[in-house]
Amino acid sequence: MTGRYASFTFVDRITALTPGVAAEGTFHVPAHAGAFPVSLLAEATGQLAAWVAVAKLGFRLRPVAGIAHETIYAGAPRAGDTLETRIRIDSCEDDAVAYQGWCRIGGKTVLELRDCVGPMLPLEDFDEPEAMRAFYDVLCTTGATPDRFPGVAVTPLVPLAGESGRSATARLDVPRDAPYFADHFPRRPVFPGTLLLDRMTALAAGVAREAAAGREVVAARVTDVKLRAFTEPGAALTLHAAVEPGGGRTIGAALEARAEGQRRPVGGARVAFEVLQ
Amino acid sequence: MAAEITKAQVDEIFPTVAKTIADALGCELDEVKRDASLIEDLGAESIDFLDLVFRLERAFKVKIPRGKIVEDARGDLPEAEFEQKGVVTEAGLARLRQFLAEVPADRFKAPLKATDIPRLFTAETFAKLVLRARAEQPAA
Repeated sequence: MTGRYASFTFVDRITALTPGVAAEGTFHVPAHAGAFPVSLLAEATGQLAAWVAVAKLGFRLRPVAGIAHETIYAGAPRAGDTLETRIRIDSCEDDAVAYQGWCRIGGKTVLELRDCVGPMLPLEDFDEPEAMRAFYDVLCTTGATPDRFPGVAVTPLVPLAGESGRSATARLDVPRDAPYFADHFPRRPVFPGTLLLDRMTALAAGVAREAAAGREVVAARVTDVKLRAFTEPGAALTLHAAVEPGGGRTIGAALEARAEGQRRPVGGARVAFEVLQ
Repeated sequence: MAAEITKAQVDEIFPTVAKTIADALGCELDEVKRDASLIEDLGAESIDFLDLVFRLERAFKVKIPRGKIVEDARGDLPEAEFEQKGVVTEAGLARLRQFLAEVPADRFKAPLKATDIPRLFTAETFAKLVLRARAEQPAA
């Protein structure tokens, strides 16, 4: 399939591996990739953990995005950068994988993923187990051909409501067709949770900038990420961001995404923005 | 056989357990009654159980193996005698009633699918889960 192991795969090579326990990997952001959302640092690190978990469980099960208790961002990736990812598995069983992760660029840590939990689902519902096993072997040996990633188009938000400096609501129309669905996942296309987080954070950043009297803000810490449901291609989500009381050099916001007819949110998180001077 | 869990032990940790449940489920603390079913009353889903167990592990510095509640409830009863074709047997139901004594009796309805056992779990069930994990943890 066009785009498989290219359009949304962020591990080029697994450079160090203690099976089922820890790994290090690399991913080169192609010069042609254009904008590379910071949330894809978490995607790259999470994918490394997923490969280790899938291999440990014999390519029977795969983790899907679920919970990330704390994510610290300390830098933004640019086209041409090489991401050096590292993960440590705390536990990996048939129901879930728990792990920690880090990402460095040029020797500087730009991401820390603390206390992530990915629920396990049958791999064959999402992908071809034997094809994944073959690609994993490539990652662990020669590495995949670099510069496969074509870039990812940002899905615009449609403003619905808002109160300046306090909250905003917007609609996210998930594309019916996008290159990343070929990779995420071949047998069951799902809107990537990290792209949803990127859009929720972008909505909240607009509100936080208003709360900071127009000064620029940057997402520094994301906590309590929980993704409860899959979002199918073509779905419409309502995103809501509310700035939390407080202030100073850090502005907090609560994020939520809802799909029509669902009792609980599709996903939610809290984000802390640093106000740039 | 582990020692019986006392009400005083549950009382002691319940406020922290309730706060952890409220944080994991995003509900109000006063909604977390001792006999509230996490699924039926508080809208918990499977991912919330993963989140909750993980948060309890951190809050109480204990290790809670996944699937621990059902495994402990079954005890030495062979799996084939606990459930058949996905439905909990009479013997299995008796074990569950005994093990989940904090769950109101009228919630045990036969036939009970094994996959529906988590629907019985209350806030107090998780307090007891923590206490058992603590008792089984090797001394530091």
